Amino acid sequence: MTNKPEETSSDTSRMPRALGWSAELDELAKRREFARGMGGPEGIARQKAQGKLTVRERIDLLADPSSFREFMGLMGSATYEDGTLTKFTPRASVDGFCSVNGRKVVVTGGDFTVRGGSGGGSHGGLGMEMAANRRALEWRVPYVRLLDAAGGSVRSFEDMGRTYLPDGNSFTAPDVQLLRVVPVVSAVMGSVAGLPAVNACIAHFNLMVKGTSQLFPGGPPVVKAALGYDVTKEQLGGYQMHASQSGVIDNLAESEPEAIDMVRRFLGYLPSNVWEMAPREEPGDDPCRRDERLLSVIPRDSRRAYDGHKLIRAVVDEGSFFEIAPLYGRARITGLARMNGYPVGIMANNPMFGASTDVAAGEKVIRLIRLCDTFHLPIISLADEPGFMVGLESERKGIERAGARMVITVCDSQMPWATVVVGQLYGVAGQCHHRPSGMFQRYAWPSANWGSMHIEGGVAAAYRREIEAALDPDARLAEIEARLKAMASPFRTAEATGQDIIDPRDTRRLLCEFVEEAQPILRSQLGQTATPYLP
Amino acid sequence: MTLAEGLTLPAPLSGLVLAVLVELGTDVQEGDELVIFESMKMEIPLEAPRHGRVTRILVGEGDKVAEGDAVLVIA
Repeated sequence: MTNKPEETSSDTSRMPRALGWSAELDELAKRREFARGMGGPEGIARQKAQGKLTVRERIDLLADPSSFREFMGLMGSATYEDGTLTKFTPRASVDGFCSVNGRKVVVTGGDFTVRGGSGGGSHGGLGMEMAANRRALEWRVPYVRLLDAAGGSVRSFEDMGRTYLPDGNSFTAPDVQLLRVVPVVSAVMGSVAGLPAVNACIAHFNLMVKGTSQLFPGGPPVVKAALGYDVTKEQLGGYQMHASQSGVIDNLAESEPEAIDMVRRFLGYLPSNVWEMAPREEPGDDPCRRDERLLSVIPRDSRRAYDGHKLIRAVVDEGSFFEIAPLYGRARITGLARMNGYPVGIMANNPMFGASTDVAAGEKVIRLIRLCDTFHLPIISLADEPGFMVGLESERKGIERAGARMVITVCDSQMPWATVVVGQLYGVAGQCHHRPSGMFQRYAWPSANWGSMHIEGGVAAAYRREIEAALDPDARLAEIEARLKAMASPFRTAEATGQDIIDPRDTRRLLCEFVEEAQPILRSQLGQTATPYLP
Repeated sequence: MTLAEGLTLPAPLSGLVLAVLVELGTDVQEGDELVIFESMKMEIPLEAPRHGRVTRILVGEGDKVAEGDAVLVIA
């Protein structure tokens, strides 16, 4: 048989086989064009007026150039006249694969220009394509949510002619599994309510944009209906609430491009999934660099505070520190960094904000340990720990239960861990800088001092009878304190236990060596951990 | 901010100004202590982030400051 191309108008020489379907290809192009128009010019203008980028602009910032491969991009609601497509509104989400710094991720971006990002109820029918969260799970690649959606809307009741049971867990279950398998990041890019607000926290890291993002299960109208008072979106769920007070959001970006940059940066420290090693970068800093300033960071006067960031910066690869939740639980600094190019988790007490671990700081510690354990990063602790926060406020917040969770998290963890005791190390909070199992290394600076509790305060309790019976109780108390303090030199401990005490300037070199030695251990621990990550 | 305009240094935390260690015109080096604050019974220094000359002092001893308040300007 001979192939006789049909006679049609255009270019028969180049692609004769496609010829028969050119009308459909035209329709495909038209539908894609409609989808690229998102919720239409009015919706886009409103989005811009609010100072926000469109979802497609955001994805352009996130993705390496021309790496975005959209899926389910033809889904939406169409209007036909005489069988011809005249109008098409895409679904309120733009999803696809893209590369971030050369590595593949799945991105799902809420499109607020389409019905305020509301779902629109067409979930779970037979033949539905695999959702973005399932793809990230099956492809084993990081999952990035660009949230700009208001959750369910009562309008959908009218469309369906009924209400529905709130069975959102049916399609949220993969999001839960993702936490144990791949890095998950939520960027809150607008007013986000309902399930998307909770999805903001089903993540290893989240952030919001100052002034243009808010987060709540129900916004001001819902608050008014339920509780009867007026409140603005910003008061209810803005950055002051969530980045500093509630701790629901880790990081705050000044602008949307900065937010996307933070997402890219965070992912850069982590492997694509728990079966891979975190990517090493070409080291740009000498692992043997000795920072002379380390000799004077810890003040001799114990009333003097210092900024714990100084310690971290002096020790990690230059410019590599990425702080997580800098405005919340500020007694502890937590974040990711590189040591001789290898990604690590790192934390330090911050005496500028009391240093004592309170419930908020403890939450950060727990999340960092679990993050490192899940993705097989070594962890470094620079300890100057006065102990758990005491007092009425701390009791009201439940410091003992928080302490129990810290102890459990520390003991359950497996990744290689190095602690450098730079100053104080007291009580159970001090105990949480130590792990009695696995690859654990501890160094102490000559400025270190430690104990099960502080000598001040401790003496009055332990020697109460002796002090009360003395002729001059104050003098007796001072005498006992002086006696005990004379024993507090770290060298006395070293005599008995073998604790290594180091020149502070050698800290970086020793930690870089530790991180290098940790690599084969980390490789042997690849895979899912027994303890799930809890945000 | 450019060198000519000067660099405004914010209070690193909320607290009380315990001591101002510099005067107008003092030349400072990176890391020099400029102001000491008191908060939670601890003394917290504000250090010069770079070298420069103190051109404005916006707080005095005993003042209460909130985090982020302008403390002084170096140019």
